[in-house]
Amino acid sequence: MKTAEYLDDGDEYQEQTLRERIKENPRAAKIWFAGFAVLVILEFGRILAGLLSLISAVIFLVDGTASLPSWVGGNVAGTLGTIPGVFAEVLVGLAMLYGVVTLLTLVGIRFNLAERYDPEMSRSKKQTVDRAAVTLLLSIVGGVLVVTPAGGILRTELTIGLVVLDSLSSALPTITSRELIPNQGHQTPDGGWSGTFLGLSPAQAWLLRFSIVIVYAVVALFWLWKGYTIYREHYREADWTPRDDTIRRFRQNYWGIFGFIVVFLFVVLAAWAPAVSPEPAEDNIFEPYGEETQFLNEETGEVESVSIGNANLNSRSDGQNTVGPNSYDDFDRYHPLGTTDRGQDMMTHLAYGARTSLIIGLTAIGLAGMIAVFLSLLTAYYKGIVDIATILASDTIISIPALLLIMMLSVIFNDSGHFLAEPMDGGFLLALTFAFVYWPGLWRSIRGPSLQVAEQEWVDAAKSYGQSPMQTMRKHMAPYIAGYIMIYASLLLGGVIIFTAALTFLGLGINPPTPEWGRLIDSGQDYIPTSSWHVATIPGLAIVFVVTGLNALGDGIRDAIDPEADVGDDAGAAAAGGGG
Amino acid sequence: MSLEMTEQRSGSDEPIIDIRNLQTAFFTEKETIRAVDGISFDIHPGETVGIVGESGSGKSVTARSLMGLVDSPGRVLDGSSVRFNHLETVREYADRFSGQTVDLQAIENQYDPAAVFDSPDIDITPQTLGYREAGEVPLADVVAAGYGDELVDESDCVFISEGDPAKPESIEEGFIELTRVSGKAQRLIRGGRIAMVFQDPLTSLNPVYTVGNQIKEALRLHQGIRGSEATKEAARLLDAVGIPDARRRVGEYPHQFSGGMRQRAVIAMALACEPELLICDEPTTALDVTIQAQILDLLAEIQEERDLAIMFITHDMGVIAEISDRVNVMYAGEIVESAPVEPLFADPKHPYTEGLLQSIPGRQSGDRLTTIEGTVPTPNEPATYCRFAPRCPKAFDECEAVHPVSVQVDEKEGDHTAACLLYPEEMGTRDAVAYHSERATRGDEQ
Repeated sequence: MKTAEYLDDGDEYQEQTLRERIKENPRAAKIWFAGFAVLVILEFGRILAGLLSLISAVIFLVDGTASLPSWVGGNVAGTLGTIPGVFAEVLVGLAMLYGVVTLLTLVGIRFNLAERYDPEMSRSKKQTVDRAAVTLLLSIVGGVLVVTPAGGILRTELTIGLVVLDSLSSALPTITSRELIPNQGHQTPDGGWSGTFLGLSPAQAWLLRFSIVIVYAVVALFWLWKGYTIYREHYREADWTPRDDTIRRFRQNYWGIFGFIVVFLFVVLAAWAPAVSPEPAEDNIFEPYGEETQFLNEETGEVESVSIGNANLNSRSDGQNTVGPNSYDDFDRYHPLGTTDRGQDMMTHLAYGARTSLIIGLTAIGLAGMIAVFLSLLTAYYKGIVDIATILASDTIISIPALLLIMMLSVIFNDSGHFLAEPMDGGFLLALTFAFVYWPGLWRSIRGPSLQVAEQEWVDAAKSYGQSPMQTMRKHMAPYIAGYIMIYASLLLGGVIIFTAALTFLGLGINPPTPEWGRLIDSGQDYIPTSSWHVATIPGLAIVFVVTGLNALGDGIRDAIDPEADVGDDAGAAAAGGGG
Repeated sequence: MSLEMTEQRSGSDEPIIDIRNLQTAFFTEKETIRAVDGISFDIHPGETVGIVGESGSGKSVTARSLMGLVDSPGRVLDGSSVRFNHLETVREYADRFSGQTVDLQAIENQYDPAAVFDSPDIDITPQTLGYREAGEVPLADVVAAGYGDELVDESDCVFISEGDPAKPESIEEGFIELTRVSGKAQRLIRGGRIAMVFQDPLTSLNPVYTVGNQIKEALRLHQGIRGSEATKEAARLLDAVGIPDARRRVGEYPHQFSGGMRQRAVIAMALACEPELLICDEPTTALDVTIQAQILDLLAEIQEERDLAIMFITHDMGVIAEISDRVNVMYAGEIVESAPVEPLFADPKHPYTEGLLQSIPGRQSGDRLTTIEGTVPTPNEPATYCRFAPRCPKAFDECEAVHPVSVQVDEKEGDHTAACLLYPEEMGTRDAVAYHSERATRGDEQ
């Protein structure tokens, strides 16, 4: 057997990191990054605003979970007295902190404290000591914040900071912003328009802004795709990965591409809702009596102003009077899709309703998906009693009638003014309920593939060279579930959107004024045979399109991953779904 | 890390793996399948032990029982003992897992053999373990078999019989009981001391990761090396198993390898952590004959370089003849014959072994291929008769009533044994049957 020394000298093939490879051939990367920077700068204000709303959502969640110890403490104090109450509160707080620190270490962040103290300890002892020490540290910091005024000061600073960033974001450039291309204005007595972009009519100005949004979104999508192809061609180490085949199959699947386009438009509508709406939602829908709008009074020939609420009242589409699609109302406002029966602009309602549906859908599916994946990996790996317990739990949950559960939870949480019912007027609560109700179905769908992959020999091989259960599940089993989860999740997302719309149609779920498509249909159902048919029909068609698109996308993904499509053996097909 | 001969060449005669009365059963709702029903053998360092038998004889389950890879609804039953005797590992474990280490000398005085064997929980007799009476059974055997709960905890797996566990360098004799080991201790043994090569190399390598990635995973787990150093080591290993252009191959996916190359890569992965014992579960069954020969040569080379013990499972008698030093023939969960390779092929004693050898094409004259009629039965109850009897050309009435135990069939102690009522030959059939019957009712298995 020859010795291995020759491998060390004179070898051309070097192990390179991504950074080194980019340094070697920077031109393509530079071009792409330049384009990416341009795109970011063009919409910087909006991106910043988006980040801020994400941060405030995170703060909301953190506040919610942080109130748990005091809630527990309060309950214990109620039954057992003050001292046990305080004790319980501290205990729960410490336990939660420990849980957070453990999660951080699982994700990969390491605190190497025990190492410096005594490197002879076994690894698991070190880990526990590390976690305990960090928990203690955090709890001291937390205690200081709670007990002293420092906490209050910190919070005020944080709020001020967010407000500053918020105003900054409106000042920063955004090509799709309302300030740049305003479409609200009024007619001047001599026939022109004042207040709109370059004196164009509101319809034209709105159309211009709308087109810019679409163009920007498409260009951004294309540029991201270009980034991937550049990476694949110039910087990726492997010539071919199973993912390439999946993408190729998806591109040839026209039904899937149709679904992708529909979903893309839906997401664009939701993400650019402020830009796509002719009227700002805050004024038109949420607080109509806060602002005034100006218009040219036809009879008097003078420019008058009226509160938006009153303007809405007089622009209703309630069967007798109608402001139909692609028309102006009496107050010089343009409505591309007409008004609702309350006089609000339909397009604005649609766009913000899309946002509501999307957020609820993604939250619900995201949560349910995470629970389902975690449990399916556990049950497939350990089988036995873990499996039985999960089956019991999932069957129990499936047997609960979802509609009644939602009704009950809505009433309870809304009546008591619970903080969970506050975001999106009950939308967040709805998302949580959906997650609870849908995870069993999702778990069952991926149970088959999980059990299959657990039987594969490479899982045994990994166990045979001593891989820990968590790592085996994450590295050797999870990639194969990923494909299936994507399929079922996208199908389920359509279901969640329909269910949400159905609930708001019935009057449950989400309360006004948060816009939702189902409520639009409900309010317009009486007027379908009249001239105001658009109030119910347009949202209905929108739901049909979006859900069909989601299903088409799910089908497309499944066909791209499915074994029968192209590849013969199981291993290769499963590989196509997961890794690359 | 170099691939030269390891320093740990043990001169002692002590086996590195000592299996006694291994029983593994699968408990399904419909039936209980006793896949491995009381087998005993050992493997010495540097030795290749072959396990041969038809499909369904329990060969793979034996290997998996050793590694602890038997999944529910199967489990290794109490009364089974698999001892790992590698002294260096025992010392390391006594140090690292001191909470699971037991000093047998310290609890020797509390051990009451009669009480242990009288208790209702125990399923075995002193004869099962190979002794004539309870007083002879050493404490080590009792705890290894999974009993003695009053004396040791359930999690204890390292047993020291000579030396002070608190000072690991002083330990001279001890073992790790593989049927009791769990958790971290078990994961260290797997791959680090005992490595396994599976039958189908395409599915034992994860298709989504490169071969180098998977070898590096094993290296990271057992040797703690990462990054470019691990890549170099992986390339060295691939080169050591004879894969050309190893540096480039490290970044390729399993499907880009041919069948023989894949199996070499799997062997490289198994060797990554310098094990003491390599278990090969039909590694050449999925390959064609020329590649098969190359793999066998490779294994022989590696064994000589590293003084590696190999347990080789196959159903191919030709391969066994090529590679083994000792052979155990399994049938329906039991070992029916055990011998060094040459006496087994030259002078097989058990009718089943004779049948196997006769059915090798080319080995007999005549037109028709001799076969053994029938199929391997699925054992559901403990054996009270000879399981091969329905298919045996030399069977007689008592074979259905008496369970044969393993007896020596030649002069040398324990060298060539067979479990058949025809032996010991010198006794004559009637006496031999009585002898087997007596030993069986006493609970003897060996």
